[in-house]
Amino acid sequence: MEDLNMWLEFPVFASIAIACWLAASGLFFTSGKKLMNDLAAALSLAGILVLLIFVVNLWMHIHRPPMRTLGETRLWYAIFLSGIGLVSYLRWKYKWLVSYSLGLAILFLIINLQHPETYDKTLMPALQSPWFIPHVIVYIFAYAMLGASSVVALRNLFFVPTEKTVKGPIQMADNLVYIGFSFLTFGLLFGALWAKEAWGHYWTWDPKETWAFITWMFYLIYIHYRYRHPMEHKKAMGVLAIAFLVLLICWFGVNYLPSAQNSVHVYSE
Amino acid sequence: MINESKRKTWAHPWSYREGTIITATILVLGFIIQAAGNGVILRFAGFPWNLLAGFLFVALLIIAFVLWQKHPVVKGLGGVKVALPAILGFTLLVLLMGFVKQDVEPQSTIARLFGLAHLVHTWPFILINVYLLVLLGIVTLKRFTPFNLKNAGFFLNHFGLFLVLFSTALGSSDMQRLSMNCYEKQTESRGIDASGKMVEVPFTIELIKFNIDEFRPKVTVIDNQSGQIIEEKGKSPLEMLDRNAFDLINYHIEVEQFLETSVKAGDGYVATNEPGSATSAKVKVTDTKSKSEVTGWICSGSFALQPEQLKLSGHYSLVMLPAEPRKFSSELNIRAKGGKSTTTTIEVNRPFKTDGWTIYQLGYDKVMGRWSKLSVLELVRDPWLPVVYFGIFLMMGGAAFLFITGKPKNGGSEHVA
Repeated sequence: MEDLNMWLEFPVFASIAIACWLAASGLFFTSGKKLMNDLAAALSLAGILVLLIFVVNLWMHIHRPPMRTLGETRLWYAIFLSGIGLVSYLRWKYKWLVSYSLGLAILFLIINLQHPETYDKTLMPALQSPWFIPHVIVYIFAYAMLGASSVVALRNLFFVPTEKTVKGPIQMADNLVYIGFSFLTFGLLFGALWAKEAWGHYWTWDPKETWAFITWMFYLIYIHYRYRHPMEHKKAMGVLAIAFLVLLICWFGVNYLPSAQNSVHVYSE
Repeated sequence: MINESKRKTWAHPWSYREGTIITATILVLGFIIQAAGNGVILRFAGFPWNLLAGFLFVALLIIAFVLWQKHPVVKGLGGVKVALPAILGFTLLVLLMGFVKQDVEPQSTIARLFGLAHLVHTWPFILINVYLLVLLGIVTLKRFTPFNLKNAGFFLNHFGLFLVLFSTALGSSDMQRLSMNCYEKQTESRGIDASGKMVEVPFTIELIKFNIDEFRPKVTVIDNQSGQIIEEKGKSPLEMLDRNAFDLINYHIEVEQFLETSVKAGDGYVATNEPGSATSAKVKVTDTKSKSEVTGWICSGSFALQPEQLKLSGHYSLVMLPAEPRKFSSELNIRAKGGKSTTTTIEVNRPFKTDGWTIYQLGYDKVMGRWSKLSVLELVRDPWLPVVYFGIFLMMGGAAFLFITGKPKNGGSEHVA
């Protein structure tokens, strides 16, 4: 095992997970029977477990948490998204949400298959901290929650014609945003506490920090808007869609912004 | 419901229109003052003036609230419809920071005049901060009186944010950050601040020993002509020398000998630990396509030793890259003015606190690498930190509330002013 690059094994794990999820989505869509739905849920879970096994193996193999490169964060995103989809199905029985989440998770796996990561075991000293894992896990969980909420938003914007039918799904979006936003806040504050330990200051307006803050502000706007205008569903969903766009810039786009050269937060490729 | 379009501006209750006008006025006014001041970067006054200003601000806010809490203006300022444009205005300013590179020399006259490259230290930023503090203060007081445990989450979120914004703004001028160069076996008690001024600290630091622990170096293939690392599928293939055999692009590499620290001797290398020695390895490289074999030494080099690469063909060579640091630390003896002395080891992420100062491991002499006799320390004094942390913990409590209780039922209809 010593000489094996774990990423070489990735296509096998990813294919199994994708196959499980495709089958699960198919079953969710085509059948109304309880047995078939249970089978679909079990298949979703199987896909998640396969991916988890890969991540745990990878973690042990590279002797550092696999949270440093964009490819590694996409792995976690796929796990959390599919997990949230499954849990929300078990909790609220939204079949379309679990299918959407699985679809997005599959997309992230395909991106990883297209752009295999190079094999990098080094972790710079500043990242060797007990704060590293909670900071990244909490953030990715928040992103996955907010990603799922924007799926709800887009569905409401384009596929739900009237204000009336949107009521149930919008509560779902609110639930996801509240949970996602609380994790976003934790991620931001953990980052501040860690930065104080590592760099001597809790906030330096580093471009990633700036964009993380902008993202946080947009979800803050959504929460306040929903709170004040509980009946304006479509507009609220519009705000949510924009907020997710900002989140995506924060996550991927910052690497390419001219303002972000030399940021400690830029993911290595 | 009042018909919004027929209501006159400034007639109560205030709505988005008034909120937007106030926020826009603050931003425009801020930029005008900034430009009128010829783009001078602002610094807050330090202790005791910042403390005094803080007290005054809070006192005025409380007095105003107690006197006029029923007044429609105070009610308006405590409402979401005024808060939302304010949040948006602040967000726009931060968005500007997200696109314009900060803390650099401004590129254009406009950027210089409006302080776009140092937005945190400009009038619009400070004014919108003060405005947000007023709104957060009012809304906190409003929910706090009469006290109701149901509002705990709301209080934690809003007051926590108030404290964080308030204390970071006021505390910024009292924070001192110094960089200190310590050489092995020497003592130092002066650091240099951001403006290049020498500052004396109330203790002396002796660097007993600087230690560095490195990852195994990585190897890669370069183009002989350009000297650049070759790319494969848009990436640079790198492999770490921590195994006896591995594959790199179309080469199979076997490590026959690995010397952590070595010097050149004849055609090869010998292990030694003297300053300037570097990592080297004897490798056998097989081209998996042509089956040709090359054996030879590669060395990452140091300040005293030339790096050595191994020619694989007319086009390519195998090179060993300089090792990356895994960990670096400084063994320090810190002697306070009173004579008390402490010996400690600091490293990145493990600072040491003494006399109100925190000592961080910042860097070392990169040219000397693992043989560096210099350790660069950062010394930080931040007397407002406990207040900032208190605010952060309140916000964490608030975030926990959001997670547990979720969205308030019936929207906000119960609470809205």
